[in-house]
Amino acid sequence: MLHRRKAAIPYLLLAPGIAWLAVFFIVPMWYLGKMSLSQGLFPLFNFGWAWGNFSDAVSAYQTQFIRSGEYAGIATLIALVLSYPLAYWIAFRGGRWKNLFLLLVIAPFFVTYLIRTLAWETILSDNGVVVRTLQHVGILGSNGRLLATSAAVIAGITYNFLPFMVLPLYVSLEQIDARLIEAAEDLYASKAQAFARVTLPLSLPGVFAGVLLTFIPAAGDFINAQLLGTPRQYMIGNVIQSQFLAVRDYPTAASLSFILMAAILVLVLLFARVLGTERLTVGA
Amino acid sequence: MSDRLTREDLLRRAVAGSALLTVPGLLAACGGSSKSAATTSTSGAAQQLPKTITFSNWPLYIDVNEKTKTHPSLVAFQKHYGVHVKYLEDINDNDSFFGKIEGPLSQGQSIGRDLIVLTDSSGLPGRMIELGWLEKLDKAAIPNIKNLQPVQQHPTWDPNREYSLPWQSGMTGIGYDPKLVGGDVKSLGDLLSNPKLKGKVTMLTEMADSIGATMLANGDDPSKVTDATFNKAIDRLQKAVSSGQIRQFTGNDYAPLLAKGDIYACLAWSGDMVQLQADHPGLKWVVPSDGGMIWTDNMLIPKGGNVFAASTVMNWFYRPEIAAQVEDYVNYICPVVGADKVLEKTDPSVAKNPLIFPTKAMLAKVHQFDSKALNNADYKKKFQRLIGG
Amino acid sequence: MRFVRHHLLTAYAALALIYLFLPISVVVAFSFNNPAGRFNYTWAGFTWKNWTNPFGYPGLSGALKVSIEIAFASSIVATVLGTLIALALVRYRFRGSATTNLLIFVPMTTPEVVMGASLLTLFVNWKVPQGFGTILIAHILFNISYVVVTVRARLVGFDRHLEEAAMDLGANEWVTFTRVTLPLIMPGILAAGLLAFALSIDDFVITYFNAGSTITFPLFVWGAARVATPPQINVIGTAIFVIAISGMLANILFQNLRARKGAVTV
Repeated sequence: MLHRRKAAIPYLLLAPGIAWLAVFFIVPMWYLGKMSLSQGLFPLFNFGWAWGNFSDAVSAYQTQFIRSGEYAGIATLIALVLSYPLAYWIAFRGGRWKNLFLLLVIAPFFVTYLIRTLAWETILSDNGVVVRTLQHVGILGSNGRLLATSAAVIAGITYNFLPFMVLPLYVSLEQIDARLIEAAEDLYASKAQAFARVTLPLSLPGVFAGVLLTFIPAAGDFINAQLLGTPRQYMIGNVIQSQFLAVRDYPTAASLSFILMAAILVLVLLFARVLGTERLTVGA
Repeated sequence: MSDRLTREDLLRRAVAGSALLTVPGLLAACGGSSKSAATTSTSGAAQQLPKTITFSNWPLYIDVNEKTKTHPSLVAFQKHYGVHVKYLEDINDNDSFFGKIEGPLSQGQSIGRDLIVLTDSSGLPGRMIELGWLEKLDKAAIPNIKNLQPVQQHPTWDPNREYSLPWQSGMTGIGYDPKLVGGDVKSLGDLLSNPKLKGKVTMLTEMADSIGATMLANGDDPSKVTDATFNKAIDRLQKAVSSGQIRQFTGNDYAPLLAKGDIYACLAWSGDMVQLQADHPGLKWVVPSDGGMIWTDNMLIPKGGNVFAASTVMNWFYRPEIAAQVEDYVNYICPVVGADKVLEKTDPSVAKNPLIFPTKAMLAKVHQFDSKALNNADYKKKFQRLIGG
Repeated sequence: MRFVRHHLLTAYAALALIYLFLPISVVVAFSFNNPAGRFNYTWAGFTWKNWTNPFGYPGLSGALKVSIEIAFASSIVATVLGTLIALALVRYRFRGSATTNLLIFVPMTTPEVVMGASLLTLFVNWKVPQGFGTILIAHILFNISYVVVTVRARLVGFDRHLEEAAMDLGANEWVTFTRVTLPLIMPGILAAGLLAFALSIDDFVITYFNAGSTITFPLFVWGAARVATPPQINVIGTAIFVIAISGMLANILFQNLRARKGAVTV
């Protein structure tokens, strides 16, 4: 009796959340799936097992797929490098003020994306202090600019996903018992060794989570490329956006979406394999 | 050929505008008086207005009294007819809004609105007529339709104005900073090939505007698009994109770039320039020498909307004094004859501003885009390819 | 040397926070701008009037109220649902765990425009009127995945021995959970809730499709931007996070006071 009751517990815990996802995500995905295998012109689409949609989509927009992966990957890496020390500081030195700093990390989101980006456009303006300094120092050519370049797009993506990296890292780091690090040092480890052998491995679940929460949505992003980039920076998110809204070619938009989703999942699986999933997703 | 609004002009306008906002004065002037809701019948047949009329429009596209935070023209309407107008500013992009309403409309469901406003150059009003998703206007309830500007009376996609009535128009031309350009810009060709402007030029994501203007620069007619003329325009633009001449394709986010000097010249909408010139009087706007484009935001009645109510609202906004009131704030192009006469007395600088009341010469040089071509999927795909999607 | 190294980290953290707030400082600065036209793009002069009349634009305050309500409601519900899922995935081995994992990841990979539009298709087919309720449903939907991933990172590193110890000392499962486990994973749950709140308050595309005629703060701003960018938007944005941070500060100071006054409690 007890055994059966115990076996039911995970399912009971899952039930409400999974039910929500099942109804409000899986069903819409079903509609999307049917659309991806349809053909026709708006508004008459006929379902017809049109597998060709997928191959057409991949061949037509290869560049944008690859570019999205690149941009998202670079942005995630930069975000990781920027966020880890910040999360570390909050976790180990934040003290009573930890929650305040967490709030500070997400506070920029209260100002809408558009206004934040307009502010960046002001800061990175061709005639602004930043660009002129970089031109003076020689990093940018005399006619160089920051806006409407891939640097701007990647910077925009990085900035807007920073909290998604900081918070999971913090969550994992904060849990580490400082005494473990002390113990390592007592055993003659240098600070660097203590970090590499104790802290870093223990924070890996946070690193994994942060990378996922940054890379996955970044790969499908469109708005940063639209506002901060030229047509040569446009990502697959832009393609899907325009195929859906402007061209109203729903089958293409749907098949592009599924290809993107599948590609991201494959990358995630590979990444998890490299890091060792068991350690990252199942408790001790 | 552009007029420049000085700060004083704008201040004077604001003061004059508030004088116009005394509603009783207006109503007395046009002989109206408060009637009770149930018996309002402008058509002869005793039709009733519903208690609430829902009107969806673009943001900041109607007059605003910033002190009372109301829309005086709507307040006056509500007082006159005794009904409530639920005014929503939820249309910010033609395609997105359409993407939102096509689901319910395609299933025969009402979208809960009596009146919506969409742009002709998006091809969507024409499309909706073809799909049967719009109700016909109750012309009997719109006697003021006689005030519609002659040039607006027979658009190709609604030749007898059975489904639509213009709300505001706008012209697409070249906006530029003469100081940064080092002179005047006269034609689109300048934008596309002047090496001094490399990387300092933007074009619009609206196909009708960018392709239309380029076709004109090629000497072709945008109101009669053929594969050849379309491809020629695409090729010309592609060259400018590949060389880096064109920096970006934008919606109206060219405005901050122009204001800050990140771009020197761009395809720009007339109404935006009015606002930019308020803070940057040096900026200029011209109709390109080869011709510019004109677009119109149209009031439409979606299927399921209350035809009589919507028509009554349309009729209200075609009263010259009401149109003048709206125009004083919105500053795009007014489709109502007589509004400029009203504004000549109350706010002359608006009445004389050719960006708001264009001269015949300007109107002769602006064109509309071929409405059939607007919905051609191939063309749209080619254009999206060009701009990066 | 130790001094430098010790403070290097602090200096770095300070720089990171400055970077995070660089555009925000521009936003705050421009909330005092006094443009003659309707755009707030270049500096025109200082004024207090935007702050004395922050709700000068009709519709702005209503949109803000809706956004805050939805952000609170959706982050709370999503945090609860997501935490339960995370607990199940980390603590138990059961059939379907791989599928569940997939189901958590896939929503995050879905481009917003298709997620928003297909959800709308669902509502239209089931004749669900769109408005506040459907926005709420959509926000809870996309927040769940983010909560699961965040809380899971915390649970994975959790030391089960503490729970065992509590049970050895006579506590049953429920007491152990509420008195030992929950407090220890609370930072993870709080972080997840904050993330969900931020996601919700800034969402545009998915909200746009499923909002019916309800307007949220991002929808208002994006919509208005075609013709104007009133400084009041900057004022509101600044005000929200000043209020949030003050609230948090007050809470911390209050806790400190209580800790100092009160006796040691177990």
